[in-house]
Amino acid sequence: MSYLYLACLLGGIVCMLLLDLRFRLFFWKSPASAALVTLAGVTFLLLWDAAGIATGIFLRGDATIASGIVLAPEMPLEEPVFLLFLVLCAMILYTGATRLLGKWTRKTDDETPPEPEIT
Amino acid sequence: MRYLLLTLLFMGVAIVAAAVLSRLGGRGWRVEWRASVMAAAVLVLLTAVFDSLMIASGLFSYTAEHISGITIGLAPIEDFAYPIAIIIALPVFWELLNRRAAVPVRRLLREAFVASRPVSWINTAFPFAAAYFLTTREIDWVLVVGALYYLIPYNLAMYGINDVFDYASDINNPRKGGIEGALLQPQFHRPMLQLAAWSNIPFLLVLAAVGGPASWGPLLVSTFAVIAYSAAGLRFKERPVLDSITSSTHFVSPAVVGLALTGAAWQPSTILLLAAFFLWGMAAHAFGAVQDIQPDRAAGIGSIATVFGARATVWIALVLWTLAGVLMLFTPWPGPLAAAIVIPYLVNCAPWARVTDDTAAGSNRAWRRFIWLNYGAGFIATMIMILWWNS
Repeated sequence: MSYLYLACLLGGIVCMLLLDLRFRLFFWKSPASAALVTLAGVTFLLLWDAAGIATGIFLRGDATIASGIVLAPEMPLEEPVFLLFLVLCAMILYTGATRLLGKWTRKTDDETPPEPEIT
Repeated sequence: MRYLLLTLLFMGVAIVAAAVLSRLGGRGWRVEWRASVMAAAVLVLLTAVFDSLMIASGLFSYTAEHISGITIGLAPIEDFAYPIAIIIALPVFWELLNRRAAVPVRRLLREAFVASRPVSWINTAFPFAAAYFLTTREIDWVLVVGALYYLIPYNLAMYGINDVFDYASDINNPRKGGIEGALLQPQFHRPMLQLAAWSNIPFLLVLAAVGGPASWGPLLVSTFAVIAYSAAGLRFKERPVLDSITSSTHFVSPAVVGLALTGAAWQPSTILLLAAFFLWGMAAHAFGAVQDIQPDRAAGIGSIATVFGARATVWIALVLWTLAGVLMLFTPWPGPLAAAIVIPYLVNCAPWARVTDDTAAGSNRAWRRFIWLNYGAGFIATMIMILWWNS
């Protein structure tokens, strides 16, 4: 039993938030909307997990890198943290890709010859 | 195969959610689909690598007969639905919230917080948690999820729906806006109702699934009372007597849900206690309606107080509180001690026994004390529960 997996997940979340901070993509663009989107995503995935556990599909392993702390039957402490990471990762990728596409489109616009300057 | 069916179900929910959300909010906004596709490609790649690593390190596994058996790396193909569902639904929600014409989400959340009456959150969470915990005598995830539900989303639904449909009368009532409630501007009405619905539905689904058929009745009654109290068309708050009954149901039904979730047997003492709680709740509502007689009448809104008049309503409250105390005397020890809880309420209310409709607004002074009396009553009730626990 260790906290390695949890530490990795938290590290991943911190990295996502650093990208967010640097490029003002998600929480640093619209914090309230980002919070609502994150909450909706994590809740949806938790319900999915819960349904999988209730129908006997998902089983918690006894990995040595996991803390062994369980929140509910077959639901380790790390699972909601992982889901949070997944949602953050997805939204940083989406907002980041949107930013890149915007830049590329603007670059093509820039190729049109500039207006002659009047001196 | 079972996992595939589950995947199709949740994938379907995500697709339907994305389709419905993309039709909301009028024109002038859209999802950058090319960005979604790029994000999806990266997420699928990451899932293939990290899901395999996670499975290899034994973090979780699957019941072999329930999965299709098709894998990418070690990851079952069904697992890829998680990131794909997320990338289908969430960007739509994000763009919808950030569109130019949207109400500012930060303001909406602040309005929702004030609308939910944070000082009253405990009034619904406590009956649930106490009923559940005193039966199971242990803290489990159902207790945590249920208590969280009755702490915030339930109150958001109850008071949020109320504030939306009370707009007409609230605008004429100077008392609203402080500790007891807020004026909710019309542009927040629709978003508030949506927020209330979507913060409640997941919790209700989980509680109904965990509690099984025995919990469906109490959950339905509880949810119906929350909606029917103020929603247009039903407006139970404008139907004398039914208004007090519905209001009391708001506070007693969480306790009944708590008991139903534990599968506790219905003993006579439990029923006596719930009946006393119910009468107490009716009395509290009736007395609370007295202060609003004038603005309610001005706005053409009926209540137990506008129909019976101020003085009769105060007397109804006094009688109901007394009856609640008397009922507690018949519960097993240390239940009878709880009869004393009604005394401060009677003392607080009694000075208004000779109130008239013209002086009714003055009873707001007693109503303000009321919020703090509830904390005292909750404290004494907790002490009695601890006594019962140890006896």
